Amino acid sequence: MATPKELSDFLAAIERRAFKQTAYAVRDDHAALDIVQDAMMKLADKYGAQPASEFPMLFQRILQNTMRDYWRRQKVRNLWTTLLSSFGGSADDNEDRDPLDTIDVGDDSEEPSVQIARSQTIALIERALEKLPTRQREAFVLRYWEEMDVAETAEIMGCSDGSVKTHCSRAVHALALELRKQGLDKLGLSNAILNGPR
Amino acid sequence: MKTDKIRHDNIDQQISVDANVEDQIAHNIVDLLDSRAQELSDEHLVRLAEARSLAIGRLVSQDAQLAGNHRLHRNGNTLQWFGGRFGHYFEQHRIFSTLLVVCVMLLTFFAVQQFSINHQIENSDAFLLASDLPPEAYADKGFTAWLDTN
Repeated sequence: MATPKELSDFLAAIERRAFKQTAYAVRDDHAALDIVQDAMMKLADKYGAQPASEFPMLFQRILQNTMRDYWRRQKVRNLWTTLLSSFGGSADDNEDRDPLDTIDVGDDSEEPSVQIARSQTIALIERALEKLPTRQREAFVLRYWEEMDVAETAEIMGCSDGSVKTHCSRAVHALALELRKQGLDKLGLSNAILNGPR
Repeated sequence: MKTDKIRHDNIDQQISVDANVEDQIAHNIVDLLDSRAQELSDEHLVRLAEARSLAIGRLVSQDAQLAGNHRLHRNGNTLQWFGGRFGHYFEQHRIFSTLLVVCVMLLTFFAVQQFSINHQIENSDAFLLASDLPPEAYADKGFTAWLDTN
């Protein structure tokens, strides 16, 4: 059984990554914070008695499920909003809002040229990551960012190992292409992968 | 045949190269994303710390509750321990528990009804048998009218 300290250490180690991953998925910082908090509470509530070594898998699964719940609720809310707005006349505040605008690109650095270039690169990557289909992003995040193996990723995503490999491969290809389009060739992109047979 | 094998080997090699390149790109991207994750605003960090402490608080209170239950059990207060166990079971099966309570209430209601009807019949039988008048007199309409007039 895990001690409170073990849980605290685990949560402290993953909370930032978890927040960023959620923010890329839901594109709303406040919602992302709520989702991460929910996931933390659920982990403590239901799986606090599990050994600490199982926390990474359990937490990722809870986080993915909580995100799905959020999307489900959003879907229902959007449906009601659409229905009610169709009765209520004009919807002035329903302008085309680009979710990419919410990304915080600014950085209060002191070394302008290097820091700005780096910040812009990260912003581009974040945008590219947000553009990925949900399953591809999930696979990429779990496999590469959370450093889980294919089997663990497959278990969390509820699909086969082959699907995980396919999702990961497509995600990396899509990211590489997107970054190439933006003129970022410094990330190890090569023609082999960009123009490969797949 | 030999050319096919060479072609297959080349494809395998190409795939493994691609996999390596994919890994390289992915790791480069993840490094950048990781560095971004370390630059969260103070507001976000405070909120995450709050969430973490709430979760830890929940675990600590659960531990305390569990320890309390074990203590009760050790002291021989098994009734409370069983109560806790059943309470947990009913909490997990809320619909079943609700149905059970409704069934018990209905059964109690019918049992009370049945008992009170039997009791009334017994009382009226005893009254009729102990009365000075024969039981037929009460069924006679003329007798009732005579009673009213007198």
